[in-house]
Amino acid sequence: MNNFLLCLGIGLFTLVFLCLYRGIFGPGILNRIAAISAIGTKTLVILLIMGFIYNRVDMFVDISMVYALLNFIGTITAAKYLEIGGEI
Amino acid sequence: MHMLHLTSIPFFLVGFFFFLAATVGLLRFPDFYCRLHSTGKGDTLAVLLSLIGLSIYEGFSLTSLKIIFIAVFMFIAQPTSTHAISRAAMRCGLEPWVKNEEKIQ
Amino acid sequence: MISISDDIIIRTVSRVLVPFIQIYALYVIMHGHHSPGGGFQGGVILGASFILYLITHGLEDAKERMSELKAGLFSSFGLLIYSGIGLLCLIKGSNYLDYGTLSTLLRVVPAQARSLGILGVEIGVGIAVMAVMFSIFFDISTGGVLPEDEEGLGTRNE
Repeated sequence: MNNFLLCLGIGLFTLVFLCLYRGIFGPGILNRIAAISAIGTKTLVILLIMGFIYNRVDMFVDISMVYALLNFIGTITAAKYLEIGGEI
Repeated sequence: MHMLHLTSIPFFLVGFFFFLAATVGLLRFPDFYCRLHSTGKGDTLAVLLSLIGLSIYEGFSLTSLKIIFIAVFMFIAQPTSTHAISRAAMRCGLEPWVKNEEKIQ
Repeated sequence: MISISDDIIIRTVSRVLVPFIQIYALYVIMHGHHSPGGGFQGGVILGASFILYLITHGLEDAKERMSELKAGLFSSFGLLIYSGIGLLCLIKGSNYLDYGTLSTLLRVVPAQARSLGILGVEIGVGIAVMAVMFSIFFDISTGGVLPEDEEGLGTRNE
């Protein structure tokens, strides 16, 4: 079962690099914000899979919850900043 | 607990398939709003399925309950952030892409 | 000057989520010696919940919930808890922040007194970090314009 989870983790890691292409070359800032949000979501699942491989899930669950929170708050802040025309 | 391991494998595979579909959509769609469709809906469903699979793999303990909490939070929060981003794009005046170059009224 | 968001979805969802984020922050502070967490991390999450409220509901509503005066008082209170525990250990005749001497005061064994002392210090750090984070964000978002400047106290030659 460990090998299966490891392959899944490596596959998700490759998908992160594919999303990074849109983050670098996306025309305009809005595409980059969407790409960063997608990368954050995939990172969360990779963290949990790593916790299962090393057999210490209790540590990694708290960290991934915090990362989900920060991803959400960051995206909402960036959207608000663009909406009021950058006058923060 | 071999039964639990075998039950959680389909969840992982379907979740990974939806992640793959969402990322291919993010790369290949022609417009920002279409890409937001793909990553907002596809990523949310993929995370939900993957976390449910992980919680079944763990068994019935406190850790699996915490993983279910993360899944519920992602289910509420990620569509909201997608909605916020698309509203900001509409306010900035980004126009949707139309085929055959017709203007939207 | 951040105004209130005119979208009902964002306002409702953040109003539902802010109490749960705060409960999770208190959980992270309390479980500092079992799992990743502690004072500083919990304080950051607690401050992030206030910042979420400020982003979605505007500056005026956030000022009613937590004014600048209250933020200053909270940060001083957190520092008072931290230094107070240290000075209490000093008064009892040992080193600064040597929690073992508090065992006679709390009527427990010295090992348990050390654990409780660390917990108290983490709570103080968490409160101080929350207040400072909110205060920094508040000051940047007002743009350095105080309410007194807008009214015009009439002390300049105009």
